[in-house]
Amino acid sequence: MSEAKKTGVGKIALEAVWYNNPIFRQILGICSTLAVTNLVLNTLVMCAALTAVTGLSSLTVSLLREWTPRNIRMMVETLIMAFYVILVDVALAAYWPEMRKNLGPFVGLIITNCILMGRAEAFAITNPPWPSLVDGVMSGLGYSMILVIIAVVRELFGMGTICGVAVPYFSSEYWDKWIIMVMPPGAFFMLALVIWAFRSYAPEAGGESRK
Amino acid sequence: MNTGWRERAWYPVAYMFVVTAVPTMLLLGLSEATRERVKRNERLAFERAVIQALEPELSASLPKARYHELFMERVGTNTFCGAYRYEVGGKVVAYALPIEGQGFWAPIKGVIAINADTQTVRGISFYEQSETPGLGAEIAEDWFRLQFTNVVLAESDPALPFAYAGGEGAVDAVTGGTQTSTRLERFMNERIGAWRKKMRGGE
Repeated sequence: MSEAKKTGVGKIALEAVWYNNPIFRQILGICSTLAVTNLVLNTLVMCAALTAVTGLSSLTVSLLREWTPRNIRMMVETLIMAFYVILVDVALAAYWPEMRKNLGPFVGLIITNCILMGRAEAFAITNPPWPSLVDGVMSGLGYSMILVIIAVVRELFGMGTICGVAVPYFSSEYWDKWIIMVMPPGAFFMLALVIWAFRSYAPEAGGESRK
Repeated sequence: MNTGWRERAWYPVAYMFVVTAVPTMLLLGLSEATRERVKRNERLAFERAVIQALEPELSASLPKARYHELFMERVGTNTFCGAYRYEVGGKVVAYALPIEGQGFWAPIKGVIAINADTQTVRGISFYEQSETPGLGAEIAEDWFRLQFTNVVLAESDPALPFAYAGGEGAVDAVTGGTQTSTRLERFMNERIGAWRKKMRGGE
């Protein structure tokens, strides 16, 4: 694993956001990418939740790494992630019930998001706490970057708004709303286009990309 | 430092036990601490829908507590033939009838308010729906909801038909949200029909 050798925080961050971006490079976390990106506001909350959970669970996995027996480490990692996800879910239920309803089951499904297990296994389990936290947060931000791009295009073309605010021209009668953009297939097309665009620009990390 | 005990068979079991017990305890405490709040949120969403159905002109941005006040003051928790009575100055002005049924993705829950004459619709509001944003979810938007105000229910069944392209009806269905519209139309009219029957039978 190339990133385990690098300890500079800046390098780790760049690696997580760009060279090893979870979405366009590793194609992880696609389920929620397709599901929550038809409204920008929902996407932002989902991204914040995922970034917080990835960062904190990487930190915790790293803190416990000396004590965790190797043969049960994945159970422990999943448990840590589940803990933070439920924390977020309970907080939303108590303080922002409308948003929790909008996101439906996808907050709970962060537990099964491959980005978390990927970062825990590839980085946090073998690295000190501070770089692990940076790696987790930056991976979450890498995910967020792509989701926000997709969400802005989908909401703008599909509904003529951004975060519910009407955008001139797009919300006028001159713009025929692209209904497909707010439907699930719109997410597939947008995701494919975004991955294509980014892969055309971004160089591969150290030759071969991870599957 | 002697770490030989970490190689023992019991260590992973004990470790897993501790690592499970501590977060579980924390989460239990937290969910217990917020349980009342969560319940209140759900209740408030319902009360808000009732008030918005009864007073559709009312701004959607009233403070949350105000909806609760209005609900307690004018509606109360007693139901009559399955509907809440809206009383102003001791007189029943309208009925708020909860409606519920399967939408396109998930259940839709809402409230339809009908004037005391049991003929004229006063308003409609939804407090739970997961329809497609931009399409089916338009049922929760003002342009759709405000169409219901002052519609007179038909004596025939369905009492409140939706208008689809090229057809006639009391209110317009949502373009691109046909599945949501037909399902809502069906279960809403079933509820209205059943309620009207009960009201007339009871008189």
